[in-house]
Amino acid sequence: MAEKDMEIMDVKDISLDEEVIGDRPRRYQRRRPRQLVPDYVDWKDVDFLLGFIPERGKIMPRRISGITARDQRRISQAIKRARSMAMLPFVAD
Amino acid sequence: MANRTYEVMYIIDPETQGDKIEKLNDAVGKLIEKEGGTIVRMDDIGMKNLAYPIQKKETGHYVLFEIEGSGQEIAELERRMRVNDMIMRYITVRVDEDRKTAAKLRDKREARSAKRASFRPSTENQQTTEAVDA
Repeated sequence: MAEKDMEIMDVKDISLDEEVIGDRPRRYQRRRPRQLVPDYVDWKDVDFLLGFIPERGKIMPRRISGITARDQRRISQAIKRARSMAMLPFVAD
Repeated sequence: MANRTYEVMYIIDPETQGDKIEKLNDAVGKLIEKEGGTIVRMDDIGMKNLAYPIQKKETGHYVLFEIEGSGQEIAELERRMRVNDMIMRYITVRVDEDRKTAAKLRDKREARSAKRASFRPSTENQQTTEAVDA
């Protein structure tokens, strides 16, 4: 039954608030999709970066997207740059 | 000093006239060349909607420069941009190092796949043709 809860949500359109179900911390066993991240992450490429931004406008955590730590660093850096130039929202509502 | 590559992007107030924007871009280009940099690319992206209002404006005129130089021209350029009323926002990003590591990664990957291909010369082809037949 707990197993069933775990395979909830599609990676793209989960809102982060829904993650805590029940009172104990969840263990993530979801299979990690191998996301293709280019060698050079361009901070101007808004369409690509939008793939790592759920509806609320936050940066998608690594445990959801399943990318490597290194890629996560590069992507979050790029998102922050794009945000400061008003190409991406800080908060979307 | 070693050559560096920068991307400079700035947002111009949407209410400025077209000829003023052009003048500003020319001035930026001239300043860079005077300070010893070279312009690799200049891209007038044009009006875009902002993701959030800046100075109560919803749109802005985006301009992107790619500059090669020592870094000295960047310091001067940023100083000028800060005091310019037409420029609502600017950003400078140094890109050469990230590009270099990207190129290195790509070369490594290509070398690896080439090596792999040389180890298994024919089996892969056979498999793919079988898959197509099935």
